[in-house]
Amino acid sequence: MLRKQAGIATDHVAFEAFYRRHVDAVTRFLARRVDDPHTVADLVAEVFMAVLDSAHTYRAGLGTEIAWLYGVARNTLSAERRRAFKESRLTSRVSGRRPLDTDDVARLEERIDAEGPARKVFQAMADLPEGERAVLELVVIDQLTVTEAAMALGIRSGTAKVRLHRARRTLRGLPFVMEGTPG
Amino acid sequence: MSFEERILMELKAEITARADRRRRTGRRLFTGAAVAGLAAAAAIAVPLLTGSERSAYAVTKNGDGTINVKLNEFRDADKLEQDLKRMGVTADITYLKPGKTCRGDRGEIVGGGSPEEWKGSASEKAVRLLPRGGMDIDPRYVGDGQTLVMAFTENADQTSEKPQVLWQFAGYVVNGQVKPCVVADDPTWNDIDGPGRPPAGS
Repeated sequence: MLRKQAGIATDHVAFEAFYRRHVDAVTRFLARRVDDPHTVADLVAEVFMAVLDSAHTYRAGLGTEIAWLYGVARNTLSAERRRAFKESRLTSRVSGRRPLDTDDVARLEERIDAEGPARKVFQAMADLPEGERAVLELVVIDQLTVTEAAMALGIRSGTAKVRLHRARRTLRGLPFVMEGTPG
Repeated sequence: MSFEERILMELKAEITARADRRRRTGRRLFTGAAVAGLAAAAAIAVPLLTGSERSAYAVTKNGDGTINVKLNEFRDADKLEQDLKRMGVTADITYLKPGKTCRGDRGEIVGGGSPEEWKGSASEKAVRLLPRGGMDIDPRYVGDGQTLVMAFTENADQTSEKPQVLWQFAGYVVNGQVKPCVVADDPTWNDIDGPGRPPAGS
């Protein structure tokens, strides 16, 4: 498993399989956080670029592919927010934003709309401390288990549980946060 | 084609590009010759001014404490070493003929263990090649008992009238004693886009 994972950064076939397995989940993950189709598409590319850079950090024993990938996606997203999309390697290489045809835009907008409730939850969670918010996000919105969320964030599972408990207590007035959103 | 497919194509192209880069520089890189190769990969086109009335190089102190070196000709390495020494930098400078390289281990390279170590290391920061030619050396990154090792490989065509000459450069900081350069053929000389090809001035 570990060897297979390491291969995704160098082997076209292995990478393509990995990409097809997860591109949809990554697109939805990003559509829950960003509401512009072009930005979502650019970020999908950036996340998988980051996968090429950090494939060696994946350890099968520590959790699922998707948990690891969401961790990568979170880091990519915050890095991109800091850089405000400037000078990102991939976008600069294809000179500006990648062209999306109308079908692409329509499909992306559909996903962005579908993730509307999730973005509302983000707003409700905005006041939580960053550490608690991160765990709650991954568990409630991205539907990871607490253990997976801990892996994505690089923290211990026990720590994640405590943070989740605190966050839920703070937000107990918000039913959709308590219940989670449909996957 | 959907955006997912286009992204997949871009990424596959990136995987291929990375494999090419590794093939060119990687294998040799972190074995013996270590970081020398990494810096050498930064082969760039630099204006090399020619003319017999000029001295081989010019050394000046910048306002921020760094030392600017402009090379006009690849000669008088010993003299340049002495000048740098006076300005507080112990340096070991080698000028090489086209297609040659310093073989093997020249000493314990600071940041030479891996690309991660190299990044941000004193070796990386000690010398900065300037886009308009010449280089800035920062003495702060060359400590007591350390030596700034620099090897320049000249282009095959030094007779070109045009000032634009390609050369190859390797620079890094070594802890303790520096072993002398053992000149050897550079197996990657023709692999890297740049040095030796195309000829000077083209």
